[in-house]
Amino acid sequence: MSTPTQVPDRTALTTLRELPSNVWNSIFRNPLPSTDLERSSTSFTNFFLHIHPVKVHKNTLRPVYTLGLGLISLFLFLILVVTGVLLMFYYVPSTTQAYDRMLDLRGTVAFGIFLRNMHRWSAHGMVAIVFLHMCRVFLTGAYKKPREFNWVLGVILLLVTLFLSFTGYLLPWDQLAFWAITVGTSIAGYAPLIGKQMQFVLLGDTTVGQEALLRFYVLHVAVLPALLVLLIAVHFWRIRKDGGLSRPEKAAAPAPEAGVVKLKKIYGLQGFVRGPFTKVGNVPDDSVYSWPNLLMAELFVFVLTVSLILVVSLAFNAPLEQPVNVMHPPNPAKAPWYFLGLQELVSYSAFWGGIGIPGLMVAMLFLAPYIDRTTHGVGRWFAKERLLANTIFLTLVILNVIFIIIGTFFRGPNWTFVSPF
Amino acid sequence: MRLPLAIASFVVLIVHGVVFWNQFFHRWERHQTAYFEQARSLSKNDRERAELESRAPRIEQVVVTSFGDTHVDRCTTCHIAADDPRFAGFAEPLKSHPYSEAMGDVLRNGRWERRHKFADFGCTVCHDGQGRGLETVYSHGEDEFWPEPLLGYVTQANWRKDFSPKLKGKAYMEANCAQCHTEEDFPGTPHVNRGRKLFYAMNCYGCHKIDGMSEGTLGPDLTEAGKKFKVDYLWESIVEPRANLDTSFMPDFHLNQSDVESLVIFLKSRRGVNFAETSLDRYKAHVANVAVVIPPGTAGEKAGEQLLADRACTACHKLGDRDGGIAPDLSYEGLVRDNPWLSDHFQNPRSRIPDSIMPAFRFPAEDFQKISAYLGSLKTPPPPEDGHATYTALCARCHGEKGDGNGKVAWYLDPSPRDFTKTAFMTSKPRPRFVNSIQEGVGGTSMPPWKRILKDEQINGVLDYVMQTIVKEPVKEPRTRNLPDKNPVAASPESIAGGERVFLLRCTGCHGRKADGKGPNSLDILPHPRNLRNQWFVESVPDRRLFESIEYGVQGTAMPSWIDQVSQHDVGDVVNFIRSLQNARK
Repeated sequence: MSTPTQVPDRTALTTLRELPSNVWNSIFRNPLPSTDLERSSTSFTNFFLHIHPVKVHKNTLRPVYTLGLGLISLFLFLILVVTGVLLMFYYVPSTTQAYDRMLDLRGTVAFGIFLRNMHRWSAHGMVAIVFLHMCRVFLTGAYKKPREFNWVLGVILLLVTLFLSFTGYLLPWDQLAFWAITVGTSIAGYAPLIGKQMQFVLLGDTTVGQEALLRFYVLHVAVLPALLVLLIAVHFWRIRKDGGLSRPEKAAAPAPEAGVVKLKKIYGLQGFVRGPFTKVGNVPDDSVYSWPNLLMAELFVFVLTVSLILVVSLAFNAPLEQPVNVMHPPNPAKAPWYFLGLQELVSYSAFWGGIGIPGLMVAMLFLAPYIDRTTHGVGRWFAKERLLANTIFLTLVILNVIFIIIGTFFRGPNWTFVSPF
Repeated sequence: MRLPLAIASFVVLIVHGVVFWNQFFHRWERHQTAYFEQARSLSKNDRERAELESRAPRIEQVVVTSFGDTHVDRCTTCHIAADDPRFAGFAEPLKSHPYSEAMGDVLRNGRWERRHKFADFGCTVCHDGQGRGLETVYSHGEDEFWPEPLLGYVTQANWRKDFSPKLKGKAYMEANCAQCHTEEDFPGTPHVNRGRKLFYAMNCYGCHKIDGMSEGTLGPDLTEAGKKFKVDYLWESIVEPRANLDTSFMPDFHLNQSDVESLVIFLKSRRGVNFAETSLDRYKAHVANVAVVIPPGTAGEKAGEQLLADRACTACHKLGDRDGGIAPDLSYEGLVRDNPWLSDHFQNPRSRIPDSIMPAFRFPAEDFQKISAYLGSLKTPPPPEDGHATYTALCARCHGEKGDGNGKVAWYLDPSPRDFTKTAFMTSKPRPRFVNSIQEGVGGTSMPPWKRILKDEQINGVLDYVMQTIVKEPVKEPRTRNLPDKNPVAASPESIAGGERVFLLRCTGCHGRKADGKGPNSLDILPHPRNLRNQWFVESVPDRRLFESIEYGVQGTAMPSWIDQVSQHDVGDVVNFIRSLQNARK
């Protein structure tokens, strides 16, 4: 500005002509990559892409290994955040208004019913997929050292997901919501010593009412999503730091001698990372560039997830039953489906079904990587070396599924056995 | 990977297309466009035509705040011609709402003016349905989850097929008229008025409470029946009471279809406090109504018989071939009971049987007299001579064919009929006591005195039958017991207070703190502990029997022997205390 004459060849016209490309290049500092260097650089310099490593192991990209379950969970969460925020514009957490808002969503709000369908089905989907993701990780032995803590984080993520879905269940304030939460929170009330207090803190009252609605709303739209985002971030970060996804032993890069770092070379800060992933020197490997291999896979999973949720949301409307009637419990009153296994157990024994067995299960999940210290059988489905662990795990999973199926389809009025056929 | 990716992307595109199409091409827009076109062609002045030309489809709504909860009625979004008289001959939804003088609409200078303007009343205040909905299935309440489908027009898919056709018709809308027009003889709501009369005439008020109308406690409170229940449920509950609740003992009143319809419409109009009422009105109605006496029934020769039918007595009782299966046989009642008993019992059944479930009906005294006279005049065939036949005819309804105290109506009697299969009881009491119970009846219970129609040999015959066929064991010779004939302790205030202390210490677990036989253990005990506030019973029992029961227990029941724990003086105090409870009631 002060010395315009110093660049006589730049006219205003050229500035204008180059404006688009200058803006573009200032945002995307790399051209569409065509060389390996550019591919690395693209992953490395883009804020949104730098969560990926520059190169990933081929095993990571095998669809039959991961089944894309972790990614599907993430994308479902993203769909839930987007649709949830849009729904928040219309929702009022008040016992007198919530149900009317549901009716308005269904009738008058543009895309209202579709947003609600997407949110509802994605939420159910996320609970199921997160659970399946956990099964995948266990059955491939991916929780073993050095990924123990990431497994623990995963279990916490599963619990938070369940709680998110549970808190969202109450918000429509219809009979289904009211009685499911009444049943669900009374299961929590069976916990010894703190059960009743826990139930009271959760509901803000002795029964489900305005206080409970407000608490569940705040938990659902603020507290739990924030917690989930934080935990997801740590979960992903740990994947990178633990050396990428698990893979078979023979495919794993030879680990450098642990403990002593030979002072052959001065490492940059990035070098101070232990584990088998840092590529220092020319180690032969089976890795490929993240751009475009990993990105295409992710895009594929994303589009598949979105299209599936869209189709389901178009075909099936989220249920909305009659407005809350405190005097008229449905018979039977059922908890949300993912807690029906527990409710079925509660029908045999309140303590064992409500607290004993689920508490034991969660404790076993948390402790699994610290109990099972063998290092074999990682990175393969149903590895022979892991027959015992897999059998125990699958038995528990199948039992849980059976109880959920019984609770969902085979239980009629007064929790008596009925045939759905 | 590229092909599936392409397919999935295409699916995303298609779904978006469908969603956007649904969003921007609503059914109601087509209705509105059709209306604008039709109205333009019907219009005779240019200004209106230009106005119609400029109108674009939009959601129409009326927000009504004057009638209870806020109603947001978007019905006129489709029914946009509802207030346009030119569309009288059109098909729904473009049909104008009919005008009628009966509804209070007036014809002024060739133009109808509505009494119930849509801007003030909306639609759902009268019609029900879901005002916020914009799709037929939701707005008309066809969706099974909506509690208020369009009254008289819509039946929901899950309603019983045999009832659904009966639940249609304009008459059902009267239930909503009555929300404001609460006058009992309002001409616009004939079905509600008839239902209200039936509610009294068919004795519904005896068991059911409706705030401001009745105070029955046996059945569910119907004050908000119209708010809680849909018409199909109401219909079903009346014609098949046990369809909803296995344990219901509501009788089947065998009403004809138009009576049921009127009752359903009346009940549908019970929605708590009506729009036109204040709580003060409700209280005044309560004062006026709960004491109201049902107008006398027919007079004349057959009045008693006719009344018995009109008042639906056989919905519970048995008489001839009609049997409600809930209450005792009336065939002999008029012959075995004396007139004061009948009269007292009619006025208030609990004055003679304190735990009777029979409600106090508000019939005028002359009706009671006529029914009593009719019952007394019944030429019931004399009971058979042979013991077994007598038992079957007179005893089995309560005590059961097998004598196990589990007869057809036993469940509804309190105290329960004696279970003759409890041999410990039957063999521990002397024969004269049983003879006395049959001859004189048991005070304060449903056991009537049979001496008026049973000869001594018949009484002995039926007792022999019971002892030989049911009990099957000989009566044990009672040991001589040291029992006073008369309570030796004088009924002084000190004695009564002492008796109360002992009672509270020893007896409340079963007999209850109020001595009404409803202690915490009483539910598990059969026969149930005695209600010691049952004046008629307690007064019919001599001191000697009270002493015996307390000191030596009652065999075959849960009453234990207290002779080792309680001194005879304390027993005397307790007896005084129990006697004092009866005096307190008088």
